[in-house]
Amino acid sequence: MRRGLGLAWEWLVERVIQIAGLLAIVFVVAIFAFLLRDALPVLRERSMAELLAGEVWSPTADPARLGMLPLLLGSLYVTVGALVIAMPLGIACATYIAEVASPRAREVLKPLVEMLAAIPSVVFGFLGLMLVGPWLAELLRLPIGMFAALGSLMLAFMAMPTIVSVSEDALRAVPRALRENSLALGATRWQTIARVVLPAGRSGVIAAVLLGLGRTIGETMTVLMVTGNAAVIPEGLAGFWRPVRTMTATIASEMGETAYRTPHYHALFFIGLVLFVITFIINTIAEWAIRKTGRLSS
Amino acid sequence: MGRPRDPWGRWLAWTTAVALLAAPAGCGRRARDVEVAPGGIRIIGSTTVLPLAERWRAEYNREHPEVAIAVSGGGSGTGIKALISRTAEIAMSSRDIHEDEVARAREAGVDPAEHLVAYDGMAVIVHPTNPLEQISVEMLSDIYTGRVTEWDQVGVPGLGRIQAVSRDAASGTYEAFKELVVQLAETDRSRDYSPAVLKQASNAAIVALVGQTRAAIGYVGLGYLDDSVKALRVAPMGGQEAVSPTMENVMAGRYPLARELHFYTDAAPSRQVREFIDWVRGEQGQRIVEELGFVPVR
Repeated sequence: MRRGLGLAWEWLVERVIQIAGLLAIVFVVAIFAFLLRDALPVLRERSMAELLAGEVWSPTADPARLGMLPLLLGSLYVTVGALVIAMPLGIACATYIAEVASPRAREVLKPLVEMLAAIPSVVFGFLGLMLVGPWLAELLRLPIGMFAALGSLMLAFMAMPTIVSVSEDALRAVPRALRENSLALGATRWQTIARVVLPAGRSGVIAAVLLGLGRTIGETMTVLMVTGNAAVIPEGLAGFWRPVRTMTATIASEMGETAYRTPHYHALFFIGLVLFVITFIINTIAEWAIRKTGRLSS
Repeated sequence: MGRPRDPWGRWLAWTTAVALLAAPAGCGRRARDVEVAPGGIRIIGSTTVLPLAERWRAEYNREHPEVAIAVSGGGSGTGIKALISRTAEIAMSSRDIHEDEVARAREAGVDPAEHLVAYDGMAVIVHPTNPLEQISVEMLSDIYTGRVTEWDQVGVPGLGRIQAVSRDAASGTYEAFKELVVQLAETDRSRDYSPAVLKQASNAAIVALVGQTRAAIGYVGLGYLDDSVKALRVAPMGGQEAVSPTMENVMAGRYPLARELHFYTDAAPSRQVREFIDWVRGEQGQRIVEELGFVPVR
């Protein structure tokens, strides 16, 4: 009797877990479907080329100009800038925590870095808007304290915990044997780290960066508050020091005002669709890279 | 043998697949109206009216603590949308309701009624160190449409490029400024904000930004003026004399950038709502209007 009950219980638990897992897929598919449903109608009024490569985003004009290029580039600048800051810092931090820090130091550092992830994005936005932005503008003689690089800086803080966490796990997963062999062959600790451990954990580190990238490109509140929201095409490196507008901020600030089912409304969903696809691709590549790391630890 | 058979798992997977395929059938239905909490008043909309609404709520609740009032911002457009979808009893607005919004409201079973609750002036502000004292509506329009980009062109040397700051599209202030200034009192409807204008989410954000940025110019509701920014005198169209943004000038009709602030409700609102609005338009409510720097209706 007892045995039967135990089996029934186990069956139940398995079903619940299975449903939960499948539900996750259902949600993702459903979101994609709803995005598609409300985004595709814009293609009846504007061509794909006009949307993706058009240089003017002015939806309140008559006729509405719905060129996403300034927004795409805005997101690109902010994201690339964030990675330029967060990648070296994050990987260095992860290397330190995984390879160099004493266990005591590790116990303190890891939670501290993860605490960065707990800070709400609006707090970063507020800090950027009121403190960092004006200070940087003063320091660098910029015309205004709202610019792409400011967004990059604040986003770097938000991407760092992800990059550090996942990289650190990847580096820890490198088999001890590799390190010991290297040291036995006479390499210094640093040589071991730089030439053996990091290359071995390469896929995991790449995955970490990609996940950080995914987080960055989807961030809304912070960029809405600090990048100025001017839908202009950024020009060269100087573009980092001028206001831009990201795709996410556009959706956030314009959704409240669009009339239902106008081309503008559908165009905003189209932007959402583009964001979804980009993030999906990034996460898929990251997943693939993580799986590659696993194979190494055999 | 191979994998143990898992008939339940397969059944679940198939059911999920079928459910996913059938999902689009549910897509036709729209969200139904939410039951309004009897007697409670939800006020949503313009951030210009917001400080007024919050004071009204505080004072009204002193005499009538049993009426539950909830106030939030989001912009005039957001408020009207909420009225239409019945997630608000009162929509605060710093602009007139559009015809298509009226049509959509009627479709949803809401007949919008307009209640004038205050007058507001829009002040044009610059950094306190900016030597400019007055500006014409025509020049403002040229600045905000991108025809004039340098402070030299306005007669102010040494400040470089004009950083024009505006509200974002969900804002009634944005719309009112567009009609009165950008479109030259609606005489040139082809004019629109330049995409290079920095769009901010609230009056407070504009005050903060202009107060910190030497080359900035912006517009805010009269109630938001403080010592951190400098308000300009505005010359109405046609080369007339510039007028200061004061309450007296708005009441006398001399100040060109003046508009009506409204509460929109259903034509047959609850008794609670009617009593509240009567109080707001009465002596006590209007005293608060004056106190906060707006212009009373009587």
